[in-house]
Amino acid sequence: MSAFALAWRNLVRQRRRSALMIAVVTFGFAAVALAGGFIAQSFDALKEGTIRSVGHLQVVDRRAVGRAEEATLEFAIPNAERARGVVARDPDVAAVLPRIDFVGLATNGTKSVPFLGIGVDPEPEARATLASELVVSGKYLSGDGGDGIVLGTGLAGALHAKVGDRVTLMATTPDGALNALDGIVEGLVDVRIKELNDRYLAGGLGLVSRLLQSPESVSRLVVFLKDDEREDLVAARIAETLQRAGYPVAVQHWRELAVFYGQVRLLYIGIFGFVGAVLVVIVILSAAIVMTMAVTERTREIGTLRALGTRPAGIRRMFLAESAVIAIAGCVAGAVLALVIRAVLNASGIVLPPPPGATHGVPINVKLYPLAYLAGVAAMLATMGIAAWAPASRAARIPIVDALAHV
Amino acid sequence: MGQATVPAVRAVSLSIRASEFVALQGPSGSGKTTLLNLLGLLDTPDSGAVFLEGRHAESLSENERSDLRRDRFGFVFQTFNLIPVLTAEENVSYPMVLAAVPAEERRGRARELLEAVGLADKVGVRPDLLSGGQRQRVAIARALANRPAVVFADEPTANLDSRTAEGILDLMRTINESSGVAFLFATHDPRVVARARRIVRLHDGAVEADEAA
Repeated sequence: MSAFALAWRNLVRQRRRSALMIAVVTFGFAAVALAGGFIAQSFDALKEGTIRSVGHLQVVDRRAVGRAEEATLEFAIPNAERARGVVARDPDVAAVLPRIDFVGLATNGTKSVPFLGIGVDPEPEARATLASELVVSGKYLSGDGGDGIVLGTGLAGALHAKVGDRVTLMATTPDGALNALDGIVEGLVDVRIKELNDRYLAGGLGLVSRLLQSPESVSRLVVFLKDDEREDLVAARIAETLQRAGYPVAVQHWRELAVFYGQVRLLYIGIFGFVGAVLVVIVILSAAIVMTMAVTERTREIGTLRALGTRPAGIRRMFLAESAVIAIAGCVAGAVLALVIRAVLNASGIVLPPPPGATHGVPINVKLYPLAYLAGVAAMLATMGIAAWAPASRAARIPIVDALAHV
Repeated sequence: MGQATVPAVRAVSLSIRASEFVALQGPSGSGKTTLLNLLGLLDTPDSGAVFLEGRHAESLSENERSDLRRDRFGFVFQTFNLIPVLTAEENVSYPMVLAAVPAEERRGRARELLEAVGLADKVGVRPDLLSGGQRQRVAIARALANRPAVVFADEPTANLDSRTAEGILDLMRTINESSGVAFLFATHDPRVVARARRIVRLHDGAVEADEAA
């Protein structure tokens, strides 16, 4: 008879207590698996959203790394169309989006509101990013953008601007001169970060270049890749190619640019890590109590087994096997429970509160994340092992005559 | 309140030879069980020495003591001490599992032993469905599983009715005569004493008499 078969019979013998312990592990496992799936969903969504906003890679002037410009386009990439062509020829690149970052004042004639502007190449921008999906009124820019502009709903509200209205944009050129021209509101977008939504303005590169009086220069090239996995390799290759072509640039990864992503990720890991730790402590305490009771109740039996020739390690193994059987049974039941709860939650249509900094909630969609299930099994086996170790070791050390005399 | 140390056995010198059928007799508290536990390597003496087939028991590690109990000793307890979750056959097989006896051989020998103690029809029955006498027979079969040199029996008849006790003692005597396994009893049951070939009388932890019956 194997240690596991004996363990199983001992657990069946104490049905109610074993069922209680298995239930604790079941809920613990289900919580780990579901939380893991939820975290994975959150991280994936956050990553996708971040990449669709900032791209996989960004090419900037080397001087712009870690520094803020004192004047618009101070660290610009000159001859941007040529640089864009160089990057676009890389076989792993899916799209290259030139962008100009600038700030200015938008006015409707009676009221002026500061904005954070972005000059884009509208068609590829709409294809590669979420920009066009955020439109809530009118349409996104098309063609070369012409005189069209797109406003965040917050900024539009402040300006009392609607689709078709003419808004005057004022900005300083790289030389420090103030320039102004009119843009026509083609669409309103709901940028899901409130602070940005209140300041967001986008226009075609042509319009923005005219406003800034700086043709051929862009702030950055946003690069989208065909395959996430080759990010490092492609980044190095693009940097080398551009430097060979005479561009003193640096290539930044999306993780470096999306500080927000890192912060939210850390926040989630902190929250779920804490909850996980509490869960593990509960399982350890419950299991330790159950195993201690089992050892106490079976002290005389332990004495008998030792008298018959079972080594101390064999006694320890017997109780550890029982904890392992509880862990495995709990994990199997927990996996079934997690799958059922996942199906119910995903079908429920529950909308979660907006993540930090966002204005819109997201429908719950717990992913089936196999790694979370594997982690759950490992966590429960380790937890039960830790919980059973002390009582099992104590059982192995009980003097035989004391154990046999135990009442 | 202080704690006083009372020696359970003292100045005992005793040799048990192969095939003997020995009764350790004495009143309660005379040290019978303690001496049995020391000889069976279930306990260690504060002073003095136990020799097994010429080997000093003190030189043995915990695992070596376990292995020796498994291979050379059998134990029969007053309260039977069967493993409740195992069937009669599995209880008998347990020491053989520890000794890594192949499954087929284990099964054959367990059945043979259960047949020898008159329980051929109880192989798949768990202890809670057996009578006291049947449980003690299973315990005897288990004690013989690994063909021990000595079986230590601590008050094996104390929880049995008179008729059953007689049957159990006759069975042990028969096994002793047929297989040469030595039996050492701790008892104050006169029926055991009546069947013993050697009687060691203990009093206050010391040997008062050691005589052939």
